Amino acid sequence: MTSRAATMFALLCAAGCGLALAHSSPTSLVKLDFLAHAVRAEVLVPESELAFATAAERAAEPFADYLQRHLSAETPQGAAWKMEVHSVRSTTYLEHAYLSAQVEFTPPPGVSTRAFVLVDDAVTHEVRNHVVIVLARGAASPEFLGALQYPARRLTIQWSATASQK
Amino acid sequence: MKRRWPVIGMLGIWIAVTSTAYAADAPCPKPSAAGNGQVQAVMAAIKALEKTLTADQRASLERPFVRESAIRWSNLPVGIVPRTGLRLGDLDEKQNFAARRVAAAALSACGLLMLDEIRIADNFLKGLDERKIGWDGGNYFLSVLGTPSERKPWMLQIGGHHLAYNFTFNGGREGATPLFFGSEPIIFNMGDTEFEPLATQSAAMATLARALSNHPEAKLSGTFTDVVKGVVVVPVPEKLPTGGTDTGFPHTYPTGTADRGVLYRALAPDAQALVRAAIESFASLPGAAITQPLVAAYESPAALAETYLGYSGQPDLSEEGSYVRIDGPRIWMELVVQRAVANKSKLHFHALWRDKLSDYGGEIGH
Repeated sequence: MTSRAATMFALLCAAGCGLALAHSSPTSLVKLDFLAHAVRAEVLVPESELAFATAAERAAEPFADYLQRHLSAETPQGAAWKMEVHSVRSTTYLEHAYLSAQVEFTPPPGVSTRAFVLVDDAVTHEVRNHVVIVLARGAASPEFLGALQYPARRLTIQWSATASQK
Repeated sequence: MKRRWPVIGMLGIWIAVTSTAYAADAPCPKPSAAGNGQVQAVMAAIKALEKTLTADQRASLERPFVRESAIRWSNLPVGIVPRTGLRLGDLDEKQNFAARRVAAAALSACGLLMLDEIRIADNFLKGLDERKIGWDGGNYFLSVLGTPSERKPWMLQIGGHHLAYNFTFNGGREGATPLFFGSEPIIFNMGDTEFEPLATQSAAMATLARALSNHPEAKLSGTFTDVVKGVVVVPVPEKLPTGGTDTGFPHTYPTGTADRGVLYRALAPDAQALVRAAIESFASLPGAAITQPLVAAYESPAALAETYLGYSGQPDLSEEGSYVRIDGPRIWMELVVQRAVANKSKLHFHALWRDKLSDYGGEIGH
């Protein structure tokens, strides 16, 4: 054994481990709840990554206003849905500070809430590794609908209650 | 009942069994023949290992070669992304010898050294693991996906926090990737010895980035807080996250010419040599039989002519957010500087090698 190996012999040590929370570059989460007349969304954006995005734009407006510029829904044909940010609060998840926004998307009259295009580049327009995870709130567990990463900013949503309950 | 060895003894044996690897204390810039990665040698080592294992241990070692198993690697500690496989920290002396022979058969001397030093880094972090997230040199795992064969596809996985070796044998394409490696701390002392697990790779990428800084088109737009094509964690408010594995595979990659950096063919010969050196610093980790076909593909004149080199942040990798990337027709190598987790005043590295065509040997789809 070389001297380096002997040193390694002495250094590789220790016992078991436990379960807890830790690091990674935090992702954004958009969790959708499909109602008959609208789609409600819980939007979680990590503040650390958001800071890079707002700094790049020199944006200083409230988060609700910022979201109005970077988050939207539209029909597959491009007709805009109405978007309202009902509330914004701070929260913590996995030791990262997040902003959590409650958002409601309302389609034009007569348009189904089950099929639309979600547009989101709140962080991804600046942070190249950032990923937005989009989930549907399922009866038992959330259903993965898709993900967005630069340069993608549009995700086509096709949701059926039957599929989500599988 | 087998006696569980103290971890210090187990991992010492782990190292002693192939101590010749440490003749390579010098940097490892070139693919090495020390561990040749030949399928027959790896199969023989696995067969010898299996003879030492209990039925339960064999069951933990062997998994089906399906997407769900293949993508189950992560840069994260086991407390965040639990691993399946044979836990190296649980092995007795004989089993440790046998397991290390598997690693030594598949890896180059540099790749074996990387495995050891990343495990030592985790033992360094263990003393700082107040939250018990699983930093521990024992928390590294070995898995065989499918049935080892000289003809049919199967995989060998070796990994844990900050390390994921995923080697596919007999795949439709070459199978060295995905290959993730990282280090926290970047450099540290334990006892009288200084360790810098990514010294070769970070130096090669920093030297390349400094050369690229002479080319304005090499500067990538945006911010990089991690590697771009790494694992994805899915937040689940009020609960532990899910994911943290390669759920995003297969990935999409930049196309066209915009914002990908400077083309290899636009560089001076000395800078072109730095590109090849950086490629080889990553590609030197698997055994030669695994990696050399890929290096040949990446360094063919046609491939290099279409390879882009980009960077962001500080070319010397001295600041958080510094980033270097090699992006060719097949090759995708990236290294990023992140804020350290255990000591926020420090930095740490994440690095990733993917092949746009042959991750998982081309055997895993959606």
